Amino acid sequence: MSRIYGDPIEVWTRDGEPARFVWRDRLYVVHRVLDHWVTSREWWKISENDPGERRFWRVEASPGPATGTYELRFDTAAAGWLMLRAWD
Amino acid sequence: MFTHLHVASAYSLRYGTAFPGELVARAAGHEMDILALTDRDGMYGAVKHIQACADAGVRPVVGADFALSATEGEHAPSRGPAGEESAEQRITVLARNGGWRHLCRLTTDAHQAGRRGEPHVTRELVARHAEGLVVMLGPRSDVGRAVAARRDQHARVLLAAWRRAVPDLVVEVVDHYGHHESATAARMLALAKAMHVPAVLTNAVRHLDPGDYRVGDVLDAARKLVPLHPRHVEHSASHAYLKSGKEMVQAAARVCGGDSGRAARLLAETRRVAERCAFDPRDVLALRAEPERLHLPEVDGDAVALLRRRCEDGLAHRGLERSGQARERLADELRVIERKRLSGYFVAVSGITDLIRGMGVRCAIRGSGAGSLVNYLIRIGEVDPLDHGLLMERFLSEGRKGLPDIDIDVESARRLDCYQAILDRYGESRVACVSMMETYRARSAIRDVGAAMGLPPHETDLIAKAFPHIRARQIRAALSDLPELRGSGLDDRSLDTVFRLAERLDGLPRHIALHPCGVLVGNSGLRDLTPVERSMLDFPMSQFDKDDVEEAGLLKLDVLGVRMQSALAYALDEIKRVDDQDIDLEQDVPRDDPATYDMICTGHTIGCFQIESPGQRELVAKLEPRTMHDLIVDISLFRPGPVNSDMVTPYLEARHGWREPSYPHPRLRPALRETNGVVVFHEQVLRVVDVMTGCGLSEAERVRRALGDPASRERVRGWWEAAVLPEFDRETTDRAWQVLDAFGSFGFCKAHAAAFALPTYQSAWLKRHHPAAFLAGVLTHDPGMYPGRVILDEARKCGVAVLPLDVNGSGRHWLVERPPPAEPREATKVRESMETREAGNPLEIRGPQEAAETPEALEVVKPLATGDDRDVVEGFSEGYGLRVPFSAVKGISEAEVERMVAGQPYTSLADFWERARPSRPVAERIVQVGGFDALHGLHPGGLRWRPGELTRRDLIAQVGALERASATGVTSSRRRARRTGARGAAGATGTSTGAGAGGPPQAVQIPMSFTEHVEPGELPEMTEAEAVEAELEILGLDVSRHVIGFYDDLLDAIGVVRSDELLAVRGGAEILVAGVKVATQTPAVRSGQRVIFTTLDDSTGPIDLTFFESVQERCAATVFGSWMMVARGVVRRVGARAVSLRAVDCWNLAELDHLWRTEGLEAVRAVLGPGRGDQAGTGRGRRSRAAGARKARAEGDRAGVGGRPTEYGNGYRLSPYADIGPAPGVTTPPRKLWHASPGSSGPIGFIPRPDRCAGEGSAGRAAASESGRSRKGGR
Repeated sequence: MSRIYGDPIEVWTRDGEPARFVWRDRLYVVHRVLDHWVTSREWWKISENDPGERRFWRVEASPGPATGTYELRFDTAAAGWLMLRAWD
Repeated sequence: MFTHLHVASAYSLRYGTAFPGELVARAAGHEMDILALTDRDGMYGAVKHIQACADAGVRPVVGADFALSATEGEHAPSRGPAGEESAEQRITVLARNGGWRHLCRLTTDAHQAGRRGEPHVTRELVARHAEGLVVMLGPRSDVGRAVAARRDQHARVLLAAWRRAVPDLVVEVVDHYGHHESATAARMLALAKAMHVPAVLTNAVRHLDPGDYRVGDVLDAARKLVPLHPRHVEHSASHAYLKSGKEMVQAAARVCGGDSGRAARLLAETRRVAERCAFDPRDVLALRAEPERLHLPEVDGDAVALLRRRCEDGLAHRGLERSGQARERLADELRVIERKRLSGYFVAVSGITDLIRGMGVRCAIRGSGAGSLVNYLIRIGEVDPLDHGLLMERFLSEGRKGLPDIDIDVESARRLDCYQAILDRYGESRVACVSMMETYRARSAIRDVGAAMGLPPHETDLIAKAFPHIRARQIRAALSDLPELRGSGLDDRSLDTVFRLAERLDGLPRHIALHPCGVLVGNSGLRDLTPVERSMLDFPMSQFDKDDVEEAGLLKLDVLGVRMQSALAYALDEIKRVDDQDIDLEQDVPRDDPATYDMICTGHTIGCFQIESPGQRELVAKLEPRTMHDLIVDISLFRPGPVNSDMVTPYLEARHGWREPSYPHPRLRPALRETNGVVVFHEQVLRVVDVMTGCGLSEAERVRRALGDPASRERVRGWWEAAVLPEFDRETTDRAWQVLDAFGSFGFCKAHAAAFALPTYQSAWLKRHHPAAFLAGVLTHDPGMYPGRVILDEARKCGVAVLPLDVNGSGRHWLVERPPPAEPREATKVRESMETREAGNPLEIRGPQEAAETPEALEVVKPLATGDDRDVVEGFSEGYGLRVPFSAVKGISEAEVERMVAGQPYTSLADFWERARPSRPVAERIVQVGGFDALHGLHPGGLRWRPGELTRRDLIAQVGALERASATGVTSSRRRARRTGARGAAGATGTSTGAGAGGPPQAVQIPMSFTEHVEPGELPEMTEAEAVEAELEILGLDVSRHVIGFYDDLLDAIGVVRSDELLAVRGGAEILVAGVKVATQTPAVRSGQRVIFTTLDDSTGPIDLTFFESVQERCAATVFGSWMMVARGVVRRVGARAVSLRAVDCWNLAELDHLWRTEGLEAVRAVLGPGRGDQAGTGRGRRSRAAGARKARAEGDRAGVGGRPTEYGNGYRLSPYADIGPAPGVTTPPRKLWHASPGSSGPIGFIPRPDRCAGEGSAGRAAASESGRSRKGGR
């Protein structure tokens, strides 16, 4: 059962893919990228220098021994990451 | 090496965003050696793609992407989520090497299958052409949709069906990083593997760069007619760009789930398909093949012998069989033609011109083809090249690749008949029209983006119309460059996104249309070479444009519809009908008629072909042509090239003997003598090059072509230095080079000018000798640049009466009438209407007594010409009139016109209503403009209340009554009564107009027993002002009197000079002029300025004004935004009898008039300010010095027109805003033209006003006049 969050998180990337992130004061290490996709935003409503993309990553990661699945989103307009959903 | 097999270019209309050349260049940059182009719905970009590939050393693949519909018999699957089922299904086909013709035929069939503009294929259709094709089933195919919907079993069934139908089938997987996309692709791969169908990877490319997807989104919205909304866009389109090989390897890894072996196999299979399809560009580019391949029509028998025989016949027919010169020239031409194996081409073209003339359609040759004697002999053209020293080499030379262009002008009204005849003669499989792509320009781009962004349609319309016809990418530059846009408020930040996006659409194809003249005439293999679809008018139309068909080696003939030819034909028919005179313009008309040239020399050329524009009227007045050759020079000089290389002045000076003609070298004298040492024609360039280098004319033609291209110019320069014969010294060599270089590509082909000069002369001759018939033709076919009301005014000046609409006299088109003398009322009518003009307008009115004495004198009105014009204009007077036609009535339908003409004569309004069955608004409009005046004896003007006398308003009320009666079903009994009544009346009086003319106003003889009764005189008559207002609104013409007449008091009060008084004004004087704006142009001029040329019409003649950039800051908005203007200008004499004004300021006449009426003359004077003349050099008076200085500073910052002119090698500078159609501005008169005079108190709202067509106003005008007002008011 997944839960929906939407918390801002801090993410470190390697080769353009998320490698580690901190969520609710815990450090998660990404083991595997399960899926990755991109959607374009309503660019006509936002500023002109932004590519207007949202990049989604569904990853397997763990803060400790237990592994969970997490969906992260990077928004090019805000240049920030969100924790969208978690299956843990 | 990766190959993109699925690529849409900008030729996927309103879908792709990159041009084939850009895609090929990018692919070459990625080191790809093969690239496919698979545009949607056709092969529109195929030839351009192949050309780009050939140039870049890339091997092309060509295919197409079609909508797929369910095969007949199998209904579309109805289960599954609705969203998936409703999505459009598409498949991509690629031509295998050698499969070009299969792709052409499939494309043609796909367009035949659907409704126009909605081509689609079925599996059966594809199977029929599958022999030469590879079929790719991608994510959008029926199979792909089924896989995405997780209906695996259904997908297997579909794929199996495809596998049975098509031998060369592949599954196409795509991953745009969309949600679930790679998983779907993986399952697609699994399915392909299970079914043993090879799979390939593509990127379904539609952009060049990732960021381009926004343009794609706008195009999607424009194509689907929806606003931009997340619901309507492709969410992963940012990945649909031309990715590099490396990026595609990553994509392969994604869809194969990281299995590198499978990914490698996928890429290898993609490559195998590419190799199967790649072909040699020269297979299609016939002109690049060695030897070049031409696809000519079949000719019965031996074309060479046939052409020779026909040329011999021609020599005899043209009386040239004894001419040694002609025989020698013919032998030369035939040698070239036969070496190039083009005999069949000439035979075919002459067959077509014979066909056209056989239909009774006027047909003239245009362009360089007039330089060929063969064309003259076999009657393709009527211009004898030997007469004018025309050269064949300009048309056809040894060194030139491809087919020579033969262009034919036919009557515009019969152009499509000609196409149909050619189609019938050669058959559908051999003939197709050439297409052309309409591309996004500023206005269309703003419209589509505005709609996508959800702006209200009328606002979008206003914004779009504010712009002149510039390119889309100039939009924001124009906002700051052009004075009329600077103050318009359009540079608002909120519109910035709209403009930015609109600029991105610049030049993208948006619509395919029939080319205005190109016709392909091929052989039975034509449909193997070009795909064909239906045009709007249902003609077969190639998907290739004119450049493409030439590259493909197809024979193109230009059959251009020319309105002047229709006007001439119409005039000849009217002369035959009215005067029973047969005139053959080619045979009967002398080409040296002094009267015709006299008229041309005075610049009275409005309506004539080629020489009616203000600039040309000025030039003919200066040049004073007396022969055909002079006309040829005149036409050639009035081109941007000669004008901008300043050839006009030296030519005129030498012509009038003010200067000795000078020649760079005595040996160049023969080539340049005809133009007094000035190079005007292409032919002269050839001769100069030939004389000085001895290279021959064919080679000289190649040199001339090279001169037009800056890149090859240097090469030519080197060649020139080496090739000039030693007898020419250094100075001559340099001087000659300067002339050639300055000339560049700008000059004019003399053959073309000679071909133009003929209809020019013919039109002038007709205007001089049959003005009524000629102007009837001009009014009917509208060949020129002036609105109809200017032509009407010209008619009046020629002594031709303008007769109002009359239900019993008017026809479908403008008819010439010769009113019989025994009809006094008609004459009175004319006189009355003309009498109103007498104030300030010198008209000679002869009384009815005189009229009775001589039938010719019945034409009571004759302009009394003033000054120098007297002799010329007087000669025009004739007893003719022009009758306003039914078709001029706004909103009238073709069928109504038909019935109205067929039902003549009518005995009453009720009879007309009953038998012609007009719609109510049309009937009312006809009453309003006096269509029943003659029948019912109405006299508008004068007393408004005339008890007992019928008025137009009574009749309008009657129209309402009649309609209500028809609606309530009392018509049947009335109709019977009407029938007998009608017959009786017609029989009794015999003539149409006689019915109402004889008796008292008994028009109320309408039996109103069953309908409401309208008392005659119950309603007031229209005033003259109201009548003219109605005419302008309904006919677009001021028939009964000139509009400007209503402003005479004001114009006299402020001292406006009239057109016919201009010649008496000394040069350099600063005066006020006024008139209705009839033409506005911004042609290219030498200085690189955007100069506005405006012509005003004040009822006594045209007034030509020039606005230079220095005054546009304050004038441009008013010039573009006014219908009637007052202008202040400095008089400049431009010829013995022509005057032009350099404008210094201008005002909207309607606004001045309002000011005059509300605040008085002083207020108007204050706005006008004292002119320079009154103020003796103290500048523009009323403004205080400080304000003046401030304004001057401000103007210094952003004065005039911005934008960098393009500079050419010869010092010619071209403004980026020159030579484009200006903003439409105001083309219809304002609704209320003048203010009702105090006495007329009729209920203004009484006349039912039909809705005006949209476009009366425009943002430009609204905004411009707004700012104009505030600016003027602030002074």
